[in-house]
Amino acid sequence: MGDWLDWLREHLRAVARIARWEATRTAGTVDRKTAALGVVALLLMGGVVGVAVTTGGVAIDRDIYRVGVAPDHPYATPVAESSSLEAVAVDDSRADVRVGDGFLARDDSRKGKAATAALRSAVERHNDGLMASEGNVSAAYPVIVTLEYRTQGRVTGSAAVGGSDGGGSGGGSDTASGESGTDGGDEGSRTDNSGTDDSPFGSGSGSLDDAGDDDDELPVPGLGGSGGFFSTGQSGSPADISPPFPFASLVLAFAFLVPMNFVIQAYGSTILNERINRRGELLLVAPVTPGDIVAGKTLPYLGALVAVTILIALAVGGGPVSVAAVVPVALLFLAATFVGAMFARSFKELTFVTVTVSVFLTSYTFVPAIFTNVTPIALISPLTVVVRDLQGEAVGLGEYAFSVGPFLFGAAVLFLLGTGVYREEDMFTQRSVPLKFLDALDSRLRGKPSVAALSALSIPFVFIAELLAIAVLYVLPVDLSIPLLLVVVAFLEELAKSLHVYAGFVKARFARLPTTALALGAFSGLGFFVGEKFTAVVQLVGLPGLELGRAAFGPAGIGAGGGAGLALALLFAPLVLHAVTASITALGASRDRAWYAAGLVAATVVHVAYNLVVVSALA
Amino acid sequence: MRDPVSRLTGVWRDPRVAIARREWRVLTAEKTIVLALLIQLFIAAFSSFLVVGLVSLYDPGSVEGYQVEVAVTGDATDDLLLALDEQSGLDARPVGTRAEARAAFDTGNVDAVLAAERRDGRVFVDAVVPDSNVETTVTVVQVREALRAYERTERGERAAWLDRMTLDLPPKPASSPYYGFTYTVLVPLLLFLPVFISGSIAVDSLAEEFERGTLELLRVAPVSLVDIVDGKVLAAAALAPAQAALWLGLLELNGTRIGNPALLVTLVAGLAVVVVTMAAAVALLAPDRRASQFLYSVGVLLVFGGTALVPHGPANTAARLAIDSAGVESVAVVSAHVLLAVCCVLGLRRLAAGVDPESH
Repeated sequence: MGDWLDWLREHLRAVARIARWEATRTAGTVDRKTAALGVVALLLMGGVVGVAVTTGGVAIDRDIYRVGVAPDHPYATPVAESSSLEAVAVDDSRADVRVGDGFLARDDSRKGKAATAALRSAVERHNDGLMASEGNVSAAYPVIVTLEYRTQGRVTGSAAVGGSDGGGSGGGSDTASGESGTDGGDEGSRTDNSGTDDSPFGSGSGSLDDAGDDDDELPVPGLGGSGGFFSTGQSGSPADISPPFPFASLVLAFAFLVPMNFVIQAYGSTILNERINRRGELLLVAPVTPGDIVAGKTLPYLGALVAVTILIALAVGGGPVSVAAVVPVALLFLAATFVGAMFARSFKELTFVTVTVSVFLTSYTFVPAIFTNVTPIALISPLTVVVRDLQGEAVGLGEYAFSVGPFLFGAAVLFLLGTGVYREEDMFTQRSVPLKFLDALDSRLRGKPSVAALSALSIPFVFIAELLAIAVLYVLPVDLSIPLLLVVVAFLEELAKSLHVYAGFVKARFARLPTTALALGAFSGLGFFVGEKFTAVVQLVGLPGLELGRAAFGPAGIGAGGGAGLALALLFAPLVLHAVTASITALGASRDRAWYAAGLVAATVVHVAYNLVVVSALA
Repeated sequence: MRDPVSRLTGVWRDPRVAIARREWRVLTAEKTIVLALLIQLFIAAFSSFLVVGLVSLYDPGSVEGYQVEVAVTGDATDDLLLALDEQSGLDARPVGTRAEARAAFDTGNVDAVLAAERRDGRVFVDAVVPDSNVETTVTVVQVREALRAYERTERGERAAWLDRMTLDLPPKPASSPYYGFTYTVLVPLLLFLPVFISGSIAVDSLAEEFERGTLELLRVAPVSLVDIVDGKVLAAAALAPAQAALWLGLLELNGTRIGNPALLVTLVAGLAVVVVTMAAAVALLAPDRRASQFLYSVGVLLVFGGTALVPHGPANTAARLAIDSAGVESVAVVSAHVLLAVCCVLGLRRLAAGVDPESH
């Protein structure tokens, strides 16, 4: 016990020393010259923004359509007000659409149609502006809509969150439906059989009378502007209701991702710097482990990201939940950059690696969050948790674990792989990225059983890739997306089970014998099977309830009903499957690359066939 | 006067071109350029996927054959039904009481319930839509469109009490918002992303020479630092217009008509030279790669973010050129970029002449 504590203390001291050294060195390079250049950049920005403001600042769609309209025509004003429309003379041949006394003529091209659509919305906006300044409110806004979201097919109603008070008291103020029953119709519709819901029509938080108390001088008790984005129930003129799109929260959530893209630039540089001109050699021969060096060099950057995240959370009104959801994303950004910097041969290559990491992780985290209010799949991204937190909704522990888990596991495995090649023979040699990757995989192999461990460790990546596939294929019709998904999932799993086996053969760690290949296949299948059971986490968020989720995770033996015998068969059938397919690829890998590819295809076919049987059996 | 062939080989042997060729060879060997193209393809595909997805969610007209079933009840049912009937993609039917309507909603027979009551000279509509699924968005948008049409009718009946009249709307064409997106977002994105990457290449290429100390060899080589910087700028800046031309060709193949391709490629070339010289200047001045990459990315973000706001900025000009709505101003903007590029190259050469390669 005491030994262990000593060991820990020693390592912690080493990590702290390297972290301190890294931090002071970073501060040292930000010299006066860099600071001066930074100031120049800021001044430039000031100039650009100044020009933009003085010239009226416009959108990128400025003047992309031409409307032929006489200056005295009623449409002349809406056209002038619209940024995307440019007014030209009626007889101008370049006009995409022409309007005159009682006629409208447009090009029969896509552009002509698009121009007419833009004209229509410009006139609509113009009308809205006219009505907003009308004195007679009831004549200007003769229709008042109260929108209520209600779960279909169930007895319980939607949770109406009071969000109409604009001031951001979005959270928790559950204006019970009964209160606002005054303006809703009381036409004897209160024949509810469940106590949780008063009336489908009486709820809706932003009732007329409530909204009238608002301080702002809106002639209509509308929810336009920011308030509308946070509310689940809306009321106002028809123009004021909008689909539940968490726009404001999304923009704020995006703010968390921006600093990461900058920090990984510096982090990648410092890692690659160690590898240039054998600079890292001194550190390697010091009495510290590679793990200590990596941890020490990473700590300052992780610390900076955590600090920035906390600052942003304070600024945009996110709670501890937001910070807890963003930090794993930061970790994965750093981990992916670390591996990239260990593999890259030059700064140029590193730039491409960091751009790839930025693009992929940013879209992987940001895109699903757009669908926060639409589908539970959105929870594959921790940003969804942030958006929910910003909207004032509660996030369950299971949901949190579901979205953050793959990121944490992924980051851990990537650091493990990268640290494996943090050694002289890999750091200071010029080898192509795929070879280095095989090196990294190989460095984690010890004996045959370690193949199983590596298979299990690949689960988070398979999980992330599969969820990404679901998200991408989600838009396709179910008839097409499910078969496609089965193939993609099978291929990804086969790849994950065999890549390190292939690495072991290439690096001559294993003898190229059929018996060895079969043994390795069995171990790999076993490891993957055990790891796959961890995907049981998906049950917590009810993803199997979704048809696509069932297709992706059903074959893993989750959520299967039926008798005990069937359950037992379903439990061990995947084990047999994984062992068999992994053996096929291992046999291929023991020959050469072409055979490995062929084995991969064969294993995928077997896997898909098995999945089809299971999915049809469950259906 | 030399013959053209020997002049061509003269250019080929020019140390600056030789340096540029070496840069391209390294990029090809590292296959990074493939990665760059893949990233752009990913961004293009993903943003299109996103927009198509979002458009089909937020624009009911583009969802073919999807009908929103609506139950209408209340004392203003008849008027409301008249307005709803004109809305395509909406199938409205009257229902006797609210309880019946709600029952139909709960069992999933209808997608939305509209209960309209006349009170105090207004119509109060209570709308019930499904909670949290993909159809919610389509339903809400359809209901909003229908209710806006209804509002116009009702407003028309109250015209006598209004100070000003609203304008009649032009007829609604069958147009997809994706058309505008293609030209205002996708085309500028595909054109300017290579520019950004080219600048990054220039920073890395110069910073690496400094970090590895290879510039010291210059003392014995028959080239100056100015030549080297020229060669690297040439290599990096030439990539962007080539990629831009490639993307424009692919878009054209894909059925997207692109206007003024020559002007667009010239614009990209001018902007690429400006950004790459800026990147080279940063790499010459900043102490190491970390600082120069950071300064460069901040600078580029400022340039692109800032000019997006300016009328006739590069993004807007590219959009107008591609959609074929360009005027004289657009040509002037392209010329201004070329002029600025020439100034930047001259400025960079002066800067490079004054830098001591061993000072880093």
